[in-house]
Amino acid sequence: MTDQSPTALTATVAHSRIKPGYPRIIGLLLLALLIFCALIGPDLIGVDPVKQQLLEARQSPSAEHLLGTDHLGRDMAARLLSGSQLSLSLAFLSVLTAGLPGTALGVLAAWRGGWTDRLLTNISDAILALPGLLLVLMLAAISPGSWWALYVGISLTLWVEYFRYTRQRARIVLAEPAVEASRLLGFSPRLIILRHLAPEIGPGLLTIAAFGAATAMTAVAALGFISVGVRPPTAEWGVMMAELLPYWREAPFLILQPVFCLVLTVLALHLSVGGMQRK
Amino acid sequence: MTSAHPLFSAFLQRGLQALIVAVIVGVVSFTMMQALPGDAAYRIAAGRYGYDMMDAAAAETVRNELGLNQHWSIQLISWLSALAQFDLGRSLVYGTPVVDEIATQLGYSLLLAGGAVLISIIIAVPVGVVAGLKPGGAIDRLTLGVSILLRAIPSFALGVVLVLVFAVQMRLLPVAGFRGLEHLILPSLTLGLGLAAVSNRVVRDSVVEALGSEWRLFSRTKGLSARRTATRHILRNASLPVVTYVGVQMAYLIEGVVIVEAVFAWPGIGHALVHAIFNRDIAMVQGTALTLGLIYVLLNLFIDVACRLIDPRMRSQ
Amino acid sequence: MSAIEVQDLSVFVGNQRLLGPVSFEVGNSETLVIMGETGAGKSLIAEAILGTLPQSLRMEGAIIHKGRRIDNLTGDERASLWGREITMLPQEPWRALDPLMKSGSQVLETHEYVAGLSPKQAREQTSKDLNALGLAEAEKHLPGRLSGGMAQRFAFATATAGKAPLLLADEPTKGLDSSRQGHIVKLLREVPAKNGTLIAITHECPVARELGGNLIVMKDGQIVEQGKTKDVLAKPKAGYTKQLIAADPVSWDKSHSLYSGDTVLSVGNLTVSRGKNILIEKLSFTLNAGERLAISGPSGVGKTSLLDVLAGLLEPVKGVVERAAGLAPLAVQKLYQDPPAAFPPHITLGQNLRDVARMHGAKWDQVMVYFSDLGLHPELLERRPDSVSGGELQRVSIARALIVKPKVILADEPTSRLDPITQRETLELIEKICREENIAVVLVTHSPEIADKWADRTIVLE
Repeated sequence: MTDQSPTALTATVAHSRIKPGYPRIIGLLLLALLIFCALIGPDLIGVDPVKQQLLEARQSPSAEHLLGTDHLGRDMAARLLSGSQLSLSLAFLSVLTAGLPGTALGVLAAWRGGWTDRLLTNISDAILALPGLLLVLMLAAISPGSWWALYVGISLTLWVEYFRYTRQRARIVLAEPAVEASRLLGFSPRLIILRHLAPEIGPGLLTIAAFGAATAMTAVAALGFISVGVRPPTAEWGVMMAELLPYWREAPFLILQPVFCLVLTVLALHLSVGGMQRK
Repeated sequence: MTSAHPLFSAFLQRGLQALIVAVIVGVVSFTMMQALPGDAAYRIAAGRYGYDMMDAAAAETVRNELGLNQHWSIQLISWLSALAQFDLGRSLVYGTPVVDEIATQLGYSLLLAGGAVLISIIIAVPVGVVAGLKPGGAIDRLTLGVSILLRAIPSFALGVVLVLVFAVQMRLLPVAGFRGLEHLILPSLTLGLGLAAVSNRVVRDSVVEALGSEWRLFSRTKGLSARRTATRHILRNASLPVVTYVGVQMAYLIEGVVIVEAVFAWPGIGHALVHAIFNRDIAMVQGTALTLGLIYVLLNLFIDVACRLIDPRMRSQ
Repeated sequence: MSAIEVQDLSVFVGNQRLLGPVSFEVGNSETLVIMGETGAGKSLIAEAILGTLPQSLRMEGAIIHKGRRIDNLTGDERASLWGREITMLPQEPWRALDPLMKSGSQVLETHEYVAGLSPKQAREQTSKDLNALGLAEAEKHLPGRLSGGMAQRFAFATATAGKAPLLLADEPTKGLDSSRQGHIVKLLREVPAKNGTLIAITHECPVARELGGNLIVMKDGQIVEQGKTKDVLAKPKAGYTKQLIAADPVSWDKSHSLYSGDTVLSVGNLTVSRGKNILIEKLSFTLNAGERLAISGPSGVGKTSLLDVLAGLLEPVKGVVERAAGLAPLAVQKLYQDPPAAFPPHITLGQNLRDVARMHGAKWDQVMVYFSDLGLHPELLERRPDSVSGGELQRVSIARALIVKPKVILADEPTSRLDPITQRETLELIEKICREENIAVVLVTHSPEIADKWADRTIVLE
């Protein structure tokens, strides 16, 4: 099948070499900050994200509640931090689960060819038969609110991107005269991977990882938003957006916060690998 | 795949994909059914006859009829064969046949999708062409920055932001539901902007490549005017990568339909799917997911055909 | 009044001078050949005359066409000359044709929109043109399906359909087999015969000789010698011109055969196919140590496939390739047509050589001896393949192959992408090294002259 998942194609369309520059530095710094916040979580400000104080609902930012309180009187800042932990850890885990086997199998398929290649490609095509989010949605629907369904669905979708990208690039590299020459000169497969494949595929994998993490976080938030993924009362940015949407007239600053956090994180991920820089 | 009729092979490929979609949706729906707590026979009977009309006897009939005491693998097979015969059952919530419900909702979703694609083309093509005519220039860099920013905003977040901007602050456009065409604007704008954010760069890249190509230079130096070169050569060559990329965006479109319909309470198939999941209305879940999946396959097929129309190299082997 | 006059033309990038100052004149119905190697600035002259110099380059001087200065015209005014007054045959015609439009249509549209013929007349004229060029069967083919020679002829028909009296031909024989070169040269000779003016750019002496007219020899952006082509080629005055002429295989001495009798490779009843096509049938020969064997033939005939079979990279359909007993597995090595493509692009040359040496247990001192024997500076080791010239890279390939102590080197058109003087030097080096180390060489070439002069014997594939 000729369709590629949007993330991978956009990533490869975007650039082949990651170039240094201001956007990338900003992205990396932002990302570092976000990861730091996520690692510490609500303990950063020492407030309990779950504690409800209904009398203090929907308050504007104050000394006690830095970013105000939500409709149930819970501290916004604490909930945002808690949400960041969930999103980032899920994204990180999915990228890892998808990336390692995806890359390895992609190289294997390109190297071996034959029925190995056909089998793996057919599996990847089958997963691509449905749009990614729809697949994750369906899987998550089996038991709504459960974490594992999200994780499995997102990992499957990301796996396909790694596999297709790696296989496509590896096929091109392995067909080059340089690899033929190396084989004739007696290079071991390990050395060929090290000298030929790794430098060519490596940078692109980083890009896919960043875009993939962004996709994972967006998917989690989207599904949280429609209550199929994570569910209230868990603090998750998408869930928070759904909870605060009814109050968009009276207190727009509330719903804007999780939106801002999500957009900022995705932007940081995109920028850190060069956004859409081209030649 | 090479064959004497590449169009035929496209149909074959997409047909296979449709089959896979049906199987995946069917199996997952079945799993959902099995995973629900409580008595399956009761639920199915309720799904068939409606909660009001059924009783324990009906549930028992269903149990025997469907062989719900049998092994799950046998049940799966009968589930899938029902699907293969286009028997989508009845909605648990409404009691009406799933097919009827979907027929109503399909129009709304197609309207939304169509509007989104239209808006994305109206935005992306002029912006991309203008940016591509002067690569590295001010407009090019500006559109790059805006595109990066826009692309980082997920569709539902963008929807929320547009709601806040247009409905709250400016009190311009209606926000939810559907009473008139003006209700279509915000949802399709949300999706369309998301699509255009990337496709305008694809247009731009394609224009830059065409303008820098050797065949374009030769077309000019052999004497063709700039206008004739554009219409007879550049148009076709530049549109190929764009059409191909639109094909890639179809996944984003389908995903976006589901999410955006949820944000704006747009009564389409995506909206129905989400509600069905909420209500554990398995028949509706299956029906709507299947419809969305098949629309996706159909859209891919259209793109396949379009590519073959533009690119004569794909027509014969 | 001359067809074109160039006065004190110079081309700069920033403050760096790439070309000039250069001055010459070409009269109506005359031919001018500009000869030189890559980087001599020949293409810059053509681009300056046509008006297609890249934006980053700056031009000084004057270009006078039919008595009128054209270098200071606006873009539109300049463009109005294209196709009707001045036209260009591009270097790589397969890239210059629209890949999505039928080849014949591209000729047709020029007749209709540039020459202004009616649709009916345009179709008739196109048929005539294609028939005359032997392209009638390929009219509906897309450029991707054309061979190099056919693409060149289509480009010729397209470029000349506008009836421009002045034709600029930039390296018209680039990438073409020797046999195809004759076709296009013949076509170009017809231009002055039909009262057109021809300016041809080439680095091939035989092409210059055939085209005749006047000759300008260029090196590093300067004119080194000029005069009537006949005279300059027969009695060159400048040292560089002499080198260029000596680089033409026609003027080489036949090299001596000195090899031992040990057979290293024997091929019996070989049938080679690529995909479904059977390329070679029932081929048998033996190869002895130190022998130089040339394999010549037109492109597509299977020369590269044959090399792949000899290297053990491709299985023959029938027949055997036997290596002499005791031959190491790495004893057969290969040199490639595109020198940079033979190296991993992301690591330095030194790193690559070190990998090979380490794997083979060779001492680094020995590697450096090979390096200097081949006239290579150790500084090259720090560089990546993309910042080293083609000729030097090919020599590094040879050094690399030598590390594993081969007995056979398979060279797949190793010099066809190199300039003529570099080509000659490289082939001489290969000959010298292989004689010293007693290595057999199988050289694939499309030039019968090279095969004739350089090799001990030739196998011609049809």
